[in-house]
Amino acid sequence: MVDILRIIKGRRSVRSFQDREIPGDHLLAILEAGIWAPSGSNIQPWEFILINDPKLIKKIKLLSPGLYGMPKILIILCMNKKRSERAGRQGPSLAIMDISMAAQNMMLMAYSLGIGSCPIASFNKSGLKELLDIPEEVDPVLMISLGYPSEWPQSPERRPLEEVVHVNVYGKHLRR
Amino acid sequence: MSMENILEDEHFQLLAFLLTSARGCIDEPPIYGPLRLIDAADKLISMLMEKYRGESKEFQEIRNKIEKARNLVITNEEEFIKTLDDLVISLSKIVKKA
Repeated sequence: MVDILRIIKGRRSVRSFQDREIPGDHLLAILEAGIWAPSGSNIQPWEFILINDPKLIKKIKLLSPGLYGMPKILIILCMNKKRSERAGRQGPSLAIMDISMAAQNMMLMAYSLGIGSCPIASFNKSGLKELLDIPEEVDPVLMISLGYPSEWPQSPERRPLEEVVHVNVYGKHLRR
Repeated sequence: MSMENILEDEHFQLLAFLLTSARGCIDEPPIYGPLRLIDAADKLISMLMEKYRGESKEFQEIRNKIEKARNLVITNEEEFIKTLDDLVISLSKIVKKA
């Protein structure tokens, strides 16, 4: 329990990277962590586009104001809308939850391997679809940059448990 | 002129940044607007430092403050705003001196 909490608390959003390749087996482990995320009705509405071509990463940077630094790898997490429809009207929101959990799995796996990551939503989706030939029924929803950090950023403050946790009824805060 | 090396052109990079930011800012948190503007300013400074090599100290000062502001956006909005004020003062000093 201590180890997983250490990894969860240690992960930071990294925005500057060393010029150092990520080993292939580590990259596969990160991707595999993604597919083992929880998924409502086991629909697995995700598609992951792995970008390892530096020239393509530069092109994606041009369409992504929120992408800082020059990462070695990008993973574009997409929603397969046809798959998500199986969950009915909740499909799109459930798919976002599933993809978010897959992203967290990937970033925690990366951190456990000493690899920095950053989740990025600030990219132009239409432009990215055009650039990467993403079909109509698939929407990119999140991007993860990966690389060895130039530095690990300081952690920002978190709202304390006593403020966030309500016990049994809303408004009755946790006391420790 | 060939478009072959357009991706390396800093002007083109700024153009892409501005257009994608303009669209992004419609959906993103309002505080991202000033963030995108200082990021664009940072890209402009790269070009200016190339052009006015002798004045790099002033530009570097602005660049350092931009870096500081960037780190404050999501952690301390008040300090972020103060740093933006400070950036304008640095800019005004260059205007005054010229």
